[in-house]
This record gives sequence, C-alpha cells and structure tokens, in this order.
Amino acid sequence: MPGIDDCLAQAMAITGARGVSLTDWSSGLALGHQGESPSGDHETTAAEATDLARAAADCPTFADQEDPRMPLQDLILTTRGSYHLIRFVGTSFDSRLLLHLWLDRAQGNLAVARLRLQALAEELVVG
Amino acid sequence: MTLTTGLPAPPGALARDGELSSLLEVLAGSGATGALRGEYGTVHLADGAVTHAESHLAPGPAVLLTVSGRLSPQLWQLLLLGHGPSCRVGSRLVAQGHLSQGELELCALSTLYDAGYFALASPAATAVFDPGARHWLGPVVRVGARALLRETARRQQLLTRIWPWPQVDTAPLVPARTSPGAVGRRSRPRLSPRGRELLALADGRRTPADLALLLGRSAFATLAEVRRLAAAGYAETPFTGHGSPQAGRLTPVPPPLPTPDRFVPPPRQAPEPRRAPEPRPASATAAPLPRPEATLSRREATRPRPEAVFPRPEATLPRPETAAAPLPRRSRPAAPVAAPPPSAHDPDIALLTRVLTALEARL
Repeated sequence: MPGIDDCLAQAMAITGARGVSLTDWSSGLALGHQGESPSGDHETTAAEATDLARAAADCPTFADQEDPRMPLQDLILTTRGSYHLIRFVGTSFDSRLLLHLWLDRAQGNLAVARLRLQALAEELVVG
Repeated sequence: MTLTTGLPAPPGALARDGELSSLLEVLAGSGATGALRGEYGTVHLADGAVTHAESHLAPGPAVLLTVSGRLSPQLWQLLLLGHGPSCRVGSRLVAQGHLSQGELELCALSTLYDAGYFALASPAATAVFDPGARHWLGPVVRVGARALLRETARRQQLLTRIWPWPQVDTAPLVPARTSPGAVGRRSRPRLSPRGRELLALADGRRTPADLALLLGRSAFATLAEVRRLAAAGYAETPFTGHGSPQAGRLTPVPPPLPTPDRFVPPPRQAPEPRRAPEPRPASATAAPLPRPEATLSRREATRPRPEAVFPRPEATLPRPETAAAPLPRRSRPAAPVAAPPPSAHDPDIALLTRVLTALEARL
C-alpha cells in the first residue's frame, strides 16, 4: 500500500517522465512533487493545473454530470515536445486531487503512461 | 507555559504580528515538540515540524471519513478509545486495513492545511503552548512551518482575488434574492455543481463552516466556493451600509485592504438556548476522548439567531474591532464594512455589462 511519496516515485519511473505532482485542486496546493516542473516552480504548476482542472470539471460539456465526485477521469494536453497527463484521483472521502505527469514526447509512450498513471491513482487510495 | 508577545520578531515577511504565525515560527525554529493552542485552533509540532492541525472551523479526519461513509462512526469511536491515548489511531487504521497509507496521508495533509489556515488566525496573546503534547492520530505527515505559513498566506490571497469581502466567510450563506440572470450572461461565471450544492443547502443560518461540516468537505474549499458565489452574484454579501454607495458603484472591485484579508472570527455572543438539534455527522459527538471535533457545542453557541439574519443581514456582520482581538491589529480602514462592491443588479453596472458584452461579441 503506497503512500504519497511511493506513488510519486513510481510515477517518475514511467518511461519518459520528467516530473510529477500530486495537487489538491480545491485549493491549488501541491501536496507532493518529484522531478522537474514545466514552469520551473512546482507551486506555480500546481496552481495552473488547478485552473485547468476546474475549467474542465465545472463545464457541463466535458464533466460527467452523473458523477459529481469524479467529474473527469483524465485530461491529456500535447505540445510539440511533451505530454501532460492529468489524472483525477477518486478518494472515498470528499476531496479534489489530481496527479499531473509531465512526459517527454520523444521518450514516453502516451498509452502506456496513461494506463500506469491510472493504476497508480487507484492504488494510492485503495485500502 | 503561556507565550506572550514579548518574543522577538521573527525574520521574514511571513509572520503576521499578533497572530499565531509568529509564535509558530519561533517554536519551529527552536525545534519544539508540543501543541500550540490558539482561539481558533491548534497546531501540533514534533521536532520543529508541523504534524497536525485542528480547528473547530474545519472538518477533521473524523468528519471527512465518516460523513463520506468511508468509516462508520462506531468504528471510529472504537479506534479512538482504543488507540487515541497511545497516539496510534493513524497507524492502526492502516494496519487493520481500514484505510490505505495513501488515504491516511492525503486525509492528514488536507486537514492539516485546512485547519492550519484557521488556527493561524488566532491571536497570539491568548495562545498557549503545551510542550510535549502529542496528537491522537500519531505521526503521519510532516510539514515545515514555513511551508504552512506560506500556503496560508497564499490561500488568503486566493480568497481576496476571488472576492475581497471576507464577511461572507463567517456570515450565513444567503442565496441572492434576485436572480442575476438578467445581467450579461456571457460575462457571468457559470454556477458550478458545487456552488449549486451549497446554495441548495443554504437555509439562511448555515455558515460556510457549517456547510463544510455537513458535507464533510474542506472548509477552505467551501470558503472559496462561497466567495465565488458572492462574486458572481449568486449569494448575498452582507454590508453594514455605512459606506457611501457612490464610492463602490463604478469602481472595478477594489480590494479595500492594504493587507490580505484575514479570516474574521465571529463575534462572541452569550450562549443562547439550544435549539432543536440539527442532523449532525454522528462522528461529531462520537469522540469523547481526545476531542477531535468536540468543539461543536461552541459552534452552536456562536451561531447567529436566524431572526437576526433576516431581514437585516448586516446585523450578523462580524465586526473585526469587537471580535476578541486583544492585540492591536495593524491599523487598517474599516475594510469589511466599507463601500459595497459594484452589484450586478445595479442599473449602471448592468448597462456597462451589456455594453461590454456587446463589444466582446464584435471582437
């Protein structure tokens, strides 16, 4: 049963991972992070990932209206050199958490990384 | 041991004079272990690092885990009675398979920052340091005191950016009496699912702290949502009416404070006769031993009477100058009672909004 640091360490072991953070997107706080940050500052990255998550999750077009606890499962953003995988973490208690993996596009495999991050998000909160 | 304000001013800009923050920095710097108890909450330290925080204004682990149905109140009480005195509740929760290590850490970290936000607003003059005191949950996470202070300051600024009128934090949530629907739909933020949920539970008596407890949800996240509701015109912002209406009409939401807004504690009131009890999370009364959330009775006592809320919401305004603040705060204008913000219902604002919307549409 991994704790937060184990979870982040395993996320960093995903091929092509450049940085990962666990963010509370109700407040914009980075609860933990490892590796590099795309903006050079993990706090800024957490705040910006929070804005993105809220924009999507509060939007009826994208959010699953029938599951208010987990309105989205993940977001994938692609740039020329990297992917950003934002995986929402479904805790049993009321919280708004996400795992943000910054992946090198040349080295990483998006499909594999996505499945791995999903598994890590589930292991983090499964007792 | 009572720490008073004779302590040297700590370095750095994080400390706010007269609040618990400055004491926390001093204690953390000296590697202290114990509980720093203030009027609005307690911060626990171990070897200078913050390990737990509790506040009667923020739901603790007991509420988060039992309101969500993750753990039954009976189980929680058993664990608390059995392992609270030895400060091993956290480790037993994991060892007995009730929670994963990740869940425990997430719960502990979230509640630490959530309660810390309120606890650190306590006046330092009445704070007490209880050296050697340990927390019933036991060691789970450790956060540097500076990290907690920095995050608390960031949260204050976040709230101020959303809507710089802190009185909505402590006043009962009141849905806007007139629908803001007539005003520029394009420029008005959409009502979020969580905002809608809060408005549905707003009965004119429940404060944001009450709603957070009822929902088993972060108190800070609830404050932020309430400020968004107020900013968008979905919820009322109570004003005393002393400010000149002209002053605030057309100015674009000026933050009136030179400093970030602070949580303004509710005014002390004589305890009123208990009303018929509302449905409460069972855990709130199920933990007699180390009293994680046992301060609920005080919340009942400070709750404003419903008749004081309507029809004059200003009667419930917490007044900073009368609100148990023994230390002189930095002088500041009567910010929370200053001019009302530009209201979306104001005809001039409505006109401006329509013009803005039309201009945007042509871009």
